[in-house]
Amino acid sequence: MSEIPTLREMRPAPPAAELEAMRMAVRERFVAGTGSGAGTRAPRRWRLPVMAGGLTAAAAATAAAALVLTSGQQAVPGQHGTAGHTRSVVTTAWTVREDADGTVTIYLQQYANPAGLQHTLQADGINAIVRQIPTALRTVGNQTMPFPACNYWTLTDAAPQAVQQAVWAIADKGQTLPVEFIIHPDAMPRGSALFLAFLTGAPPKDGNMGVVALKPVVLNNDVVPACVPVTKSAPTSAPKAA
Amino acid sequence: MTIDTQASDADLIARSLAEPELFTAVFDRHSAEILRYVYARLGPDLAEDVTAETFLAAFRYRGRYDGTWSDARPWLYGIAVRQIRRHRRVESRRLRLLRSALADGPTPDHGDRAAERVTAARLGPRLAIAVAALPRQDRDLLLLVAWAELSYAEAATALGTTTSAVKARLHRIRVRMRQQLGGSNPMNEENDDE
Repeated sequence: MSEIPTLREMRPAPPAAELEAMRMAVRERFVAGTGSGAGTRAPRRWRLPVMAGGLTAAAAATAAAALVLTSGQQAVPGQHGTAGHTRSVVTTAWTVREDADGTVTIYLQQYANPAGLQHTLQADGINAIVRQIPTALRTVGNQTMPFPACNYWTLTDAAPQAVQQAVWAIADKGQTLPVEFIIHPDAMPRGSALFLAFLTGAPPKDGNMGVVALKPVVLNNDVVPACVPVTKSAPTSAPKAA
Repeated sequence: MTIDTQASDADLIARSLAEPELFTAVFDRHSAEILRYVYARLGPDLAEDVTAETFLAAFRYRGRYDGTWSDARPWLYGIAVRQIRRHRRVESRRLRLLRSALADGPTPDHGDRAAERVTAARLGPRLAIAVAALPRQDRDLLLLVAWAELSYAEAATALGTTTSAVKARLHRIRVRMRQQLGGSNPMNEENDDE
């Protein structure tokens, strides 16, 4: 059918860079949309790691909160403790635990105090960058929903996939909080950084905070990526006629 | 979670029932292609939304996926087509714009253009009108073959019909389009079978 190749030539197509930007925006929405509620299982309940002296994380978190209130420390609103070969920093929002083998486990229950989380990870030898992706409301059909106002799709300095697989893993299936990341700092190349981003405006699901943790990304360097605004671009050029 | 990059789409989708994150690998494999198709049909304003809805619907209904389909593309295109149908007016406007753009476009440089490009430039406006005039189901089929570059069998899977039905419908579409184009065959009739 000879109309087919002629029609193919008429197919409107975006520039490759624009297509990839759009694809990454869609990917974030897809990941956000499948974070937990669309999955086949409910998010796992928050685990309570055992702390020094038999304290539970909940008890330690309470102590940490009290510590913040009394000391006014804002950067690390947590408590350092040791239990055998582990060290943990616990807050009401997250826990960072370093195991004897050097593995660092991040339990995220809420998105709060990203600077403190970043500082704590750096103290554990992880050159971490923690950022929040702002959201904006957009109307699709008859629904108004939050969408990422910008995207980190320009992560051109991401380390190869083999490095990503060696450095981090998600212990649970979903990415809607609570979520657990397992980090192997020893596998991070020299000069690299671990980038953690959170989408905080996701629709609430199963009663949680509606916060989605994007998959960590190991960057080849520690340059803070730019969050590129998402724009509903108008057609930039006429469809190709020739 | 481990992802075997050689795993078929059917394997990934089956495993994703227990490990939902594996479906992200299906997204990564096919999202650019689906997005490109949606963009072509609906334009940039809806491309992201409709593509996202396509994959979210695919994720929700992955339990219904036929495990004998090793390649998920036709299934995903079928979902995309159903999502696109919800925006019929936008597509009609898009085709009108396409017709205008083709009519106003520059004359191709014959020195370095393929024959199809020359033909597209010459016939584009009328062809866009003919595509816009097709019944919805026919337009879906034609553009799955022309723009998504699906085979007849894949298009049949996408639309939930048979390959022979696809061939018959495409024949009718061709006759109808030629009537729209003036009853003649202005195209090079070298290869009548796709």
